[in-house]
Amino acid sequence: MAAARFGVFCRSVSAAVKTARSFLSPQGPAGTGIIHTTLSRKGLEEFFDDPKNWGEEKVKSGAAWTCQQLRNKSNEDLHKLWYVLLKERNMLLTLEQEAKRQILPMPSPERLEKVIESMDALDKVVQEREDALRLLQTGQEKPRPGAWRKDIFGRIIWHKFKQWAIPWHLNKRYNRKRFFAMPYVDQFDRLRLEKHARIQIRKRNLEKKKAKLLQEKFPHLSEAQKSSLA
Amino acid sequence: MRLSALLALASKVTLPPHYRHGMSRPGTMAAKRRNPPGSRRPPVVVEPISDEDWHLFCGDRVEILEGKDAGKQGKVVQVIRERNWVVLEGLNTHYRYIGRTADFRGTMIPSEAPLLHNQVKLVDPVDRKPTEVEWRFTEAGERVRVSTRSGRIIPKPEFPRADGIIPETWIDGPKDTSVEDALERTYVPRLKTLEEEVMEAMGIQETRRHKKVYWY
Repeated sequence: MAAARFGVFCRSVSAAVKTARSFLSPQGPAGTGIIHTTLSRKGLEEFFDDPKNWGEEKVKSGAAWTCQQLRNKSNEDLHKLWYVLLKERNMLLTLEQEAKRQILPMPSPERLEKVIESMDALDKVVQEREDALRLLQTGQEKPRPGAWRKDIFGRIIWHKFKQWAIPWHLNKRYNRKRFFAMPYVDQFDRLRLEKHARIQIRKRNLEKKKAKLLQEKFPHLSEAQKSSLA
Repeated sequence: MRLSALLALASKVTLPPHYRHGMSRPGTMAAKRRNPPGSRRPPVVVEPISDEDWHLFCGDRVEILEGKDAGKQGKVVQVIRERNWVVLEGLNTHYRYIGRTADFRGTMIPSEAPLLHNQVKLVDPVDRKPTEVEWRFTEAGERVRVSTRSGRIIPKPEFPRADGIIPETWIDGPKDTSVEDALERTYVPRLKTLEEEVMEAMGIQETRRHKKVYWY
């Protein structure tokens, strides 16, 4: 059902794009984009690749942006690059979905991986810059305020603060939340602690067992460790 | 943004514990055939070698020390780190049939069996004999493999990239950024967030006043 609707949508979209193509005028004076005179003023052709690549088995693509390369770029450049990458990602996702619908292999799926990697690297760089500025100006380590509180189950959790329009003592919904545990929860807290301790001990014992097994099979490992330490 | 990160976590490949890595990459049909979901085989003990200590790369010339083709030298074609395996080209082969159908027995081809890292040794380019190798630093600070017997540096070999790209003959496509543009430094450190700088560049004036919100 959804596939049929999607197909109809795709066909109508491609029909719209085709009719626009027949009226395609040459590039504008700045040489930047195509001037539209008819239907596809909405720029839906950006969801599709360059028509020369339609039906190709492989499309060439360069490497992804690395964190170090992005750190050298100004904030305006990063802002523009984000949207360029976003549009490319949308185009590749559309292509992937259409290939799944037609049960054909997607041409050059590594392009999508590279775009996702670049966008993650960009986000990381922007986070780094924000963190640095915040630490310098305010000394706050976390961008979102919070606090360590005991919840109703007796666990100590990092409660992330939310933004509210009214103070806490007037907030009915917030006051229904309990940041304390009643005495009958102590027994379960003890059990939880015991479970955690047992897991830790089991993990430690497993590691010791594994180390012993490795020692038996590869006796030279301990000598190598000792020589590297000495 | 966080939703896409969550989806990426969901699509990340998780192998079952004690997954036995074979010659095929996990995820291929052949690997799924050998390790169907729910198959539990006794785990293989693999010597833990850190990435810094590993000294065998694709394209190296190595000599086999033990096995059927002991004493022969060959080029490393594939390295499987999960099992500390090295596959040499055309050596240590057994024969199997490929393309078998109901009435055709198939063509016999030699297929290489992997060798462990301690069953092969790197060949010293000076005297073309197997030698022990150590990781040392040059005067320039570069980390290189040095043969302990002759002291000669064994350079990392050239091996064609998996995606088939030859960097020397690369021509940028319409969507690729040129090398100068990619390496150009436009960042000037300022005490402004990205949002503030972009608003300045686009001439957006924020005249709305932030209403008091309570955080709890």
